Amino acid sequence: MTTREQDGAPSAPRPPLLELRQVTVDYQSRRGSVPAVRGVDLTVDAGQTLGLAGESGCGKSTLAMSVLRLLPRSAQLGGDVLLDGENVRDMSWGRLRAVRWASASVVFQGAMHALNPVRPIGEQIAEPLRLHRSTTPGAVRARVNELLDQVELPVARSTAYPHELSGGQRQRVMIAMALACSPRLIIADEPTTALDVIVQAQILDLLSRLVTERELGLLMISHDLSVLAACCERLAVMYQGRIVEEGPSTDVVRTPTHPHSIALAAAFPTVGDPASRLVTPRDTTPDTPPLLEARGVSVTFPGRGGTTTRAVSDASLTVHPDEIVALVGQSGSGKTTLARTLLGLQQPTAGEVRFEGHRLPRSARALRAYRRQAQLVLQDPTGALNPRHSVYEAVAEGLRIHRIPGDETAAVADALNQAELRPPEEFFTALPHELSGGQRQRVVIAGALALRPRLLIADEPVASLDASVRGEILALLLRLRVDLGLSTLVITHDLGLAWNIADRVIVMYQGRIVEEGTVEQVLLDPRHDYTRTLLAAVPEPLTGRAAATPNTTDPTRQEPTDDPTEVTGV
Amino acid sequence: MSDLLTPGDQLTEEAGEEQRPARGGLARYLASKLAGALTSLLLVVLLGFFLFRMLPGDPVQTMTAGREVTAEQIAELRERLGLSDPLWRQFLDYLGALLQGDFGDSFRYGRPVGDIILERLGPTILLAGTATVLAILLGLWLGVRSAWRHGSRFDRTATGVALTLWSVPTFWLGLIVLMVFAVGVGPLPGLFPTGGIRSIDPPPGLLPQILDVAHHLVLPCLTMVAVIFAQYQMVMRSSLLEEMGSDYLTTARAKGLREDLVRRRHAVPNALLPSVTLIFLHLGLVVSGAIMVETVFSWPGLGYLMVNALEYPDLPLMQGTFIVLAGTVIVMNVLADVVYRFLDPRVRAA
Repeated sequence: MTTREQDGAPSAPRPPLLELRQVTVDYQSRRGSVPAVRGVDLTVDAGQTLGLAGESGCGKSTLAMSVLRLLPRSAQLGGDVLLDGENVRDMSWGRLRAVRWASASVVFQGAMHALNPVRPIGEQIAEPLRLHRSTTPGAVRARVNELLDQVELPVARSTAYPHELSGGQRQRVMIAMALACSPRLIIADEPTTALDVIVQAQILDLLSRLVTERELGLLMISHDLSVLAACCERLAVMYQGRIVEEGPSTDVVRTPTHPHSIALAAAFPTVGDPASRLVTPRDTTPDTPPLLEARGVSVTFPGRGGTTTRAVSDASLTVHPDEIVALVGQSGSGKTTLARTLLGLQQPTAGEVRFEGHRLPRSARALRAYRRQAQLVLQDPTGALNPRHSVYEAVAEGLRIHRIPGDETAAVADALNQAELRPPEEFFTALPHELSGGQRQRVVIAGALALRPRLLIADEPVASLDASVRGEILALLLRLRVDLGLSTLVITHDLGLAWNIADRVIVMYQGRIVEEGTVEQVLLDPRHDYTRTLLAAVPEPLTGRAAATPNTTDPTRQEPTDDPTEVTGV
Repeated sequence: MSDLLTPGDQLTEEAGEEQRPARGGLARYLASKLAGALTSLLLVVLLGFFLFRMLPGDPVQTMTAGREVTAEQIAELRERLGLSDPLWRQFLDYLGALLQGDFGDSFRYGRPVGDIILERLGPTILLAGTATVLAILLGLWLGVRSAWRHGSRFDRTATGVALTLWSVPTFWLGLIVLMVFAVGVGPLPGLFPTGGIRSIDPPPGLLPQILDVAHHLVLPCLTMVAVIFAQYQMVMRSSLLEEMGSDYLTTARAKGLREDLVRRRHAVPNALLPSVTLIFLHLGLVVSGAIMVETVFSWPGLGYLMVNALEYPDLPLMQGTFIVLAGTVIVMNVLADVVYRFLDPRVRAA
C-alpha cells in the first residue's frame, strides 16, 4: 500500500484528504464570545493516521466536529476546512449533507448515547446507505451483513437494540456504521474511552486493521496518549485551543518538548518503567495482622428463571495497615461486587469479611460504625457530589451522619487541609461546578478523610480525571499513607495505576482471584494467563504493541507521514 | 455514578450477550397489570357506593316532591328501593348484582342503569373521541414545532396561547363560545345550534341526519379541543426538548440526514415514549372531562347524565356512571403500559 502512495504523491499533487488552515471556533454566550479553537493547521492524507491528544476542554472535540460542520448554532467557525480540496465552510446545506458520511464519517465516543435507543442496529447501519446510495433493499441488507461481518459481529445481531449489546459491541456497530458508505476519512472521537483494557485493545486493533486495509485517513481524538501512539503515525497535542506540538508518534511520546505534552506523556505510565513507579517496592507483606481480611467470600445473585449468577467465588484477600493494594480486573470480573461486600453493602453468600480481626456486623447501626473506619471514594467526583451542596456541606455531611462530636468547622478545615485544598476556608462556600475535576475529587477524598478512617476503598479514583490531574491525586493518596498511615484498596482496570502506587496487586477474573503478589512479581513476571492477556492489552507506545500492529516503528510507514506535511507547506 | 452503588452489575454485563425478552414474559406482565386493574376497580366500586350515600339529599324526597304521601307510603317506597336495609346488606346485594352485570334500576327513569348508560355512551364517545383525536394531533404537531425551534416567536406564541386556554375554566369558555357562535353577537348571526345532538325535527335521509349531528358537534367539540390540546402540546414539547441535545441526533446529522428527517426518524420516536404514557393517562380522564362541556351544550352524553343523576340523587345511576368513568381511566392506564412496552425496546426486555 505504501508504494502506491509514494508513486502517486510526487507526480499528481492531489489535495490532501483533510486540510485545516487557521481554523478557529468561538462559542457565543451571554458573557461574550469564548474561543475554543484558536488557529489550528492540520493535514491528514489518504491512508494516514493522525492522533489528536489533549485534555478535556482543550477544543479537540470541537475541532473534530467542525470538519463536518456539526457544531451547535452558538459556534462560529473561522478559517478554512478543506475536505478533499473543497471548503466545508462554503458548502451549501445540500452539498454538505451529501458530503457527510459519504466523504467523512465519525465514530463517536460512548456508543450508548450515539446510537438511537429505539431502533435496531441493523437499521441504523443501513440508514446512511439508503441515503447516499440508491440501492435495492436486498443490496442494503447484504451490505449491512458484510459490514457486521467485518467488525466481527454475528449477522443475527442486526435486529438487536443498542441496550442489548455490550460496550465493545456497540463500538463495533459504530465502526460498521462509519464504514457503511466507504468514506475516505474517519474521525474517531475518543473511540475507546468507556471501554476496559481488553476490549479497548480489540477495538483499536480492529480500527487500525480496517484503516490500513482500505487506505483510509484516520483522525483519532483522545486524552490518552498511549492509545493514540499505538495506532497513529503522527500525533498532534492540543492545549487551550492550539496545537502545541506535532510530529511522528514516537518522537512526541518519547521526547516531548512542550511542557503540556510532557505532562500528558508522563500521565500514562509504562508498566515496568521504574520512573513511573511512585512507591518504593516492598518485597514482603508486613508482619502486622491484617486490617481487612476476606476469607472465602462468594456472592451469588438470583437470575431469571431460577438460575443464579456467581459474581464472586471463594475470594480471599488481605489489606494490611499502611498498605496500598490494587484489585485489578476488567468489567464483569466481580471486583465491584467484592468491593461492595468488603464495605458491607452486599452480604456474602458464603465466607466472611473481617476488619481488625472482627467479623463484619450485620445490623445497620453496627455497619454504620464500620463504614466510619472504611470509607469509599467513587470514580466520578461530579456524580458523587451533590451539585447544590457547598464544599463545606459535602465534607461535613459524613460528620453529621455519624454524629461526630467536636468542632465541626475545625474538622472540615482539617480534612480539606489533608486533601490539599488550601487554604480550606476559601473552599467552604464553593459549589462543585465552580471547581476543577481534580479539586472535586479532592473534596470527595476530604469527605472521606473527615471521618478519620483507617481504610479507603477507592473505585477507579483517577479514571475520570485529566492526565495532568491524575498524578496529583495519586501523589495525594501516597502522602495520606505517609501522614495518616491510611491503607487503601484501589479498584481499577488500569494496570498502569497499579504500577504507579500499589504495593500489592490482586488480579480478578470471572469472579475468582487468579493471581496475587507484590506489584513487581505480578506485573513483571505474571504467572496466570489472564494477567498476561491484561498486560498485553495495555497500549504501550514505546515497546511491544507497536510491532504487533503495523504502525510507528515500521520505517516504510514513516515516509508518507512526512511527505504530505511538506506538500501542504508549499 | 460509580457502579459500586448499583448492585448486580455483573448480571447485566453477562446478560448483555443473549438478552432477549423471555417467552411468556408478556403474559405474566399482562396478568400482573390486569390483577392491579381489577383491584383498583373493586376499590372504585366500594368508594362509589359509600361516597354517594354520604352526600346530602334524599332520593325518596325528590321522588315524592309535590305529592301528598303518608309515612307508610314513604316506608314502602324505601322498602321497594332497598334503602331500608342496613348499609352493609345493601352493599352486598349491590355487589352480587354487579357481578352478574346488573347495575340496578335507576330511581328516576325506572329502567336498568346499564341500558341508560349504553344509550348515552355513544354521544360521549362521539364528542370526547373526536375532540381527543383532534387535540392530540394539534397538540403533538404544535409541541414538536415549538420544541424544534424553542425560543422562537412561534414557540412563544404557541406556548402562551396553549397555556391560556388550558387555564381558562371550561364552563366559562363554553358559555363564551355558545354566546358568540350559537346565539350570535352583534351582526354575527347564530351559526350553530345552542345544544343537543340533533334538531327537534331531524331531516329525512341518512346523510342529512349525519350532517345535522356534525353541525351540533362543532361547538362542544371546539370547546373541548381548546381546553385539552395544551397538555399534549406541553408534554410533547418538554419531552422533545429533553431529546434535543442527545448524541444520537448528532450521529444522524453526521450521516447527512435532512433536519426534518433527523426530527421525524430519530428525535420524535424517542420523545414520543414519555408522551404516550401521559396521553393514555389523559385519555382516561377525557370522558370525565366531558362533563362540563356536555352540561353547557346539553349534550346527551354520560357526563350530562351524571350531573342529572347527582341532582336527584339517583344512587344506582350515579354509581353506574362513576364505575364506567373510573373504569375508563383504569383501562387506559393498562393500555398505556402495554403500548409503552411495544414502543420502547428497553422496557420490552426488562
